[in-house]
Amino acid sequence: MKKNKRMKKVIYIIMAVGFLTSCVAVKEYEKININDPDMVLSSRKSNKFEIAFQAYRESAAGANGGKTGGGCGCN
Amino acid sequence: MKNTLLLLFLFFITITFSQEQSQDSSKAYKKRVLEKMEVDLLSSYYAQDGDNAAVTGGIGTEELTDLATIITVSIPLNDDDVLTISAEISAYTSASSSNLDPFDSGASGDDNDDDHDDDDDRNSTSKVINTTTGSPWVESSGDSKKDTWFNGNISYSHSSDDRNRIWSANLNFANEYDYTSIGFGGSHTWLFNEKNTEFGISGNVYLDTWSPIYPTEIDSYLEADQNLNDGFFNGIDILDQNGDIIDKEGFNIWRPLNTTLIDNKSRNTFSVSFSFSQILNKNAQVSFFLDLIQQDGWLASPLQRVYFSDRDNFYIGNAGSIPNYTSPINRDVFQLADDIERLPDSRIKIPIGMRFNYYINETFVARTYYRFYSDDWGITSHTAEIEIPIKISDKFTLYPSYRYYTQTAADYFAPYEENLSTQEFYTSDFDLSDFNANQYGFGIKYTDIFTKLHIWKLNLKSAELKYNHYDRSTGLASDIITLGFNYIFE
Repeated sequence: MKKNKRMKKVIYIIMAVGFLTSCVAVKEYEKININDPDMVLSSRKSNKFEIAFQAYRESAAGANGGKTGGGCGCN
Repeated sequence: MKNTLLLLFLFFITITFSQEQSQDSSKAYKKRVLEKMEVDLLSSYYAQDGDNAAVTGGIGTEELTDLATIITVSIPLNDDDVLTISAEISAYTSASSSNLDPFDSGASGDDNDDDHDDDDDRNSTSKVINTTTGSPWVESSGDSKKDTWFNGNISYSHSSDDRNRIWSANLNFANEYDYTSIGFGGSHTWLFNEKNTEFGISGNVYLDTWSPIYPTEIDSYLEADQNLNDGFFNGIDILDQNGDIIDKEGFNIWRPLNTTLIDNKSRNTFSVSFSFSQILNKNAQVSFFLDLIQQDGWLASPLQRVYFSDRDNFYIGNAGSIPNYTSPINRDVFQLADDIERLPDSRIKIPIGMRFNYYINETFVARTYYRFYSDDWGITSHTAEIEIPIKISDKFTLYPSYRYYTQTAADYFAPYEENLSTQEFYTSDFDLSDFNANQYGFGIKYTDIFTKLHIWKLNLKSAELKYNHYDRSTGLASDIITLGFNYIFE
């Protein structure tokens, strides 16, 4: 019960943050550096296998924009 | 927890479809989401070794090699829609899993076993010359030494005319010798504030099923109706801790703690993920991730042995090697399992992650990642990672990287011979132990936006080669080499 309450609180905070838009608005023509392929906010495609083995060898997984579990006898 | 996840999933589905109707009316100029069909080819070779194999109860060789390849084809169906299909195959050889059946025998005789289980058949002889030995430190020649894992995935994504909404759905299937998985899910992404801010929500369900295989001595014991003079055990001497042959009809004999194995072969995973990204300025952006994951079903592995400190030990093989059982010099004696690992049938995991990327200058970029993880099995962990891409020319980029990982042990973990048979749950799987790990990596990437190199109709857009070395404080070490190509189909 306590855990559920705590979890709901976390969800509400994240949702609230999600709807708070920033005052900063970088224009499209100013995004040349932001659009650099190395600036992508996700793990690289080439990290796929490495992340899969980390999921086997470690208990933690998820929260990186990728798979969160299931599909193998691991984790 | 399950209700919360279901509510969030319904919320997400409702938002998704209501947004879809309202967005399709705008008819402004739009760039295609994906100009041309793209093909990604990625292969890796992985090798590891260590001294804490879970299959042999927390001691023994963890040697494993794996060769994996995935091909992903992204097809633009029109200006807004992209279909992505991927197929992955992974073939491994493992000393650890081969020791599901650790017994190698010079025996000969008639096979009375009719269960068509290859691991057992090899040993199920009615007139055995007693030369059966095994060791947690030696790779046996059992069929479970090799396995192939296949995974297929189809996903479909649709972007709104103003490109401020993206919806996607995916279907997933995976299969290996003892495990099958069907998964599906969907996601919805909102971009706003002139595409400076992004919010995403996704949900995934995996419905997995075990086709369990067990340690051969436990499986054989149950097949022979708990008779140590029948089946696999017929003609094979069982030794006690002193190396003396036991009377199989006597009082002090080996028997597993439980004669009930997997009663629920399913393992289900339900997850809801939230992401929030923000461009901070012309050179920096940040994102946050939160996943809520609920698992239920058989969450332990039926392959993994456990030895209890409060039960007598019994062996098959060379009595002289018993004093050296936990040392790699033991090549010819194997301890019979007390049980397979037992873990709760539900687990809630909450990982929270953050990425921060900073464009330092035309040569350097800093990519950072941090994750905090907690679950209701008592594990908490921290992951920190940094990668510094270095552009050494227009076409080549180097990628040095470092990753640190630390976790606390699960409540049910204890090393070899340290669990108690009175516990409800127990495991000696060192993946659930207290440890930290360091990973060092280096990669090189070739990029050609003009795609001058081509094979047939495939024009090479980028190629990447990467190496990582991983060291865990438990002694496990691994290396992985990955080679990837990205082609544009003309």
